[in-house]
Amino acid sequence: MVAIGECVQVQPAEILVVEDNPGDVRLMREAFRESKIINQLRAVSDGQEALAFLRKQGRYAHAIRPDLILLDLNLPGKDGREVLSEIKADPDLRRIPVVIVTSSKTEEDIVRSYNHHANCYITKPLDLEKFVEVVQAIQNFWISIVKLPPK
Amino acid sequence: MTISRDGTITDVNAATTKITGVSRDRLIGSDFSDYFTEPEKAQQVYQRVFAEGVVHDYPLAMRSTSGVVTDVLYNASVFRNEAGLVEGVFAAARDVTARKQAEKELAWRAEELARSNADLQQFAYVASHDLQEPLRMVASYTQLLGKRYRGKLDADADDFIAFAVDGAHRMQVLINDLLAYSRAGTQGKEVASTNSESVLEAAQVNLMAAIEEAHAVISHDPLPTIPVDATQLSQVFQNLIGNALKFHGPEPPRIHVSAQQEAGEWRFSVRDNGIGIEPHDADRIFVIFQRLHAGQEYPGTGIGLAITKKIVERHGGRIWVVSEPGKGSTFTFTIPMAEVSHGGYRRVRASSAS
Repeated sequence: MVAIGECVQVQPAEILVVEDNPGDVRLMREAFRESKIINQLRAVSDGQEALAFLRKQGRYAHAIRPDLILLDLNLPGKDGREVLSEIKADPDLRRIPVVIVTSSKTEEDIVRSYNHHANCYITKPLDLEKFVEVVQAIQNFWISIVKLPPK
Repeated sequence: MTISRDGTITDVNAATTKITGVSRDRLIGSDFSDYFTEPEKAQQVYQRVFAEGVVHDYPLAMRSTSGVVTDVLYNASVFRNEAGLVEGVFAAARDVTARKQAEKELAWRAEELARSNADLQQFAYVASHDLQEPLRMVASYTQLLGKRYRGKLDADADDFIAFAVDGAHRMQVLINDLLAYSRAGTQGKEVASTNSESVLEAAQVNLMAAIEEAHAVISHDPLPTIPVDATQLSQVFQNLIGNALKFHGPEPPRIHVSAQQEAGEWRFSVRDNGIGIEPHDADRIFVIFQRLHAGQEYPGTGIGLAITKKIVERHGGRIWVVSEPGKGSTFTFTIPMAEVSHGGYRRVRASSAS
């Protein structure tokens, strides 16, 4: 049974999470687990790794191109701001929607992210219930509602 | 010393020989301006004495033959001969090296104090900001434990998880408040001419739900246009009116806001008919996290008035309360009418760079 207004998902989506805090990655997995939609969530913990994954370099030679990227801004080494501008400057990668998921609330980060063509900007909620809600909303909107470009 | 019309020294006292390091015999007959660090300036002042008859406390510096510089205040007046004609200038230079030194010391200490104050504010901000992340992990995972395992372990486990969840939650609230408090000092905006009446009206809109729930009546006199950070003034009104709504007695709250002009400042008062405050608690309520009531009766962490005080002081003002328990309270805060030269604003700007 499919409720009215709910979209039918044919294939599980591929989501790449770029996040250095394993606690947050796990929280996202738990949030995804609680929702009905089955998606594939892959995580890398820094900017260098994220770009290697997207460009299928080194040990990511067989990586699957994600449908959606969840990107933290404060990462060790190459940080999320640089990763975002590199993705959006790459003619092949720039079609993949990038959702910034960060604890930063500063106006500077928000403006800068949109200037670098982030597809949306979300601040990590402090409360677990809200966090789960937000992760599920991201999934619902970007995977079920939005029409994504073909791979 | 006495100086002739053309600027040659005609007589000196012992202090002058000491300050210049030149003997009396050699001083007499020499040009007076040679002993100043800026001879041209000394000559200009000298000409002024003739033009105006007298010069008071003009700051100059003298240099001795061994190179020691003495800061002086130069006082001079013309003297006349028996015929009433100006014959020369009588000049006295007062050594103010010690005073200058004390001023320098004071300025240095003020700078030091401003710097350590800014450091402290920065520390509070960074500490509370960086504590949020690990705390979010603790809070999230204890909540997740509660959600997944409530009733599946034993009664003790349920209790322990509940205490952990509650503790983490309260700490989040406190850290949030601490952040808001430190932001009030470090992230305020520039002061601009602001209509305080429209700020009050906007604050009332924000409090609409609480005002209706308490069946409160809020009135105000005409309010002036003042130099403030509008966002922060709104916060002050919201905190003071919010408190009046919260700490009300058996009667519905009646709140009145007024402003009076007094000795270079505006005096704003927020008067209520609430439960009031004992006089000995009048100072305590402005201290961060200080509360007079138990959590169940009047919830809150005790941050509102601390932030209010910080904002008022940032503007160079003061805040206090006059109250009678059971009758009501009047909170009064002042805002200087013009920008103060060495009070709040400048210091604030210096520390608001971050």
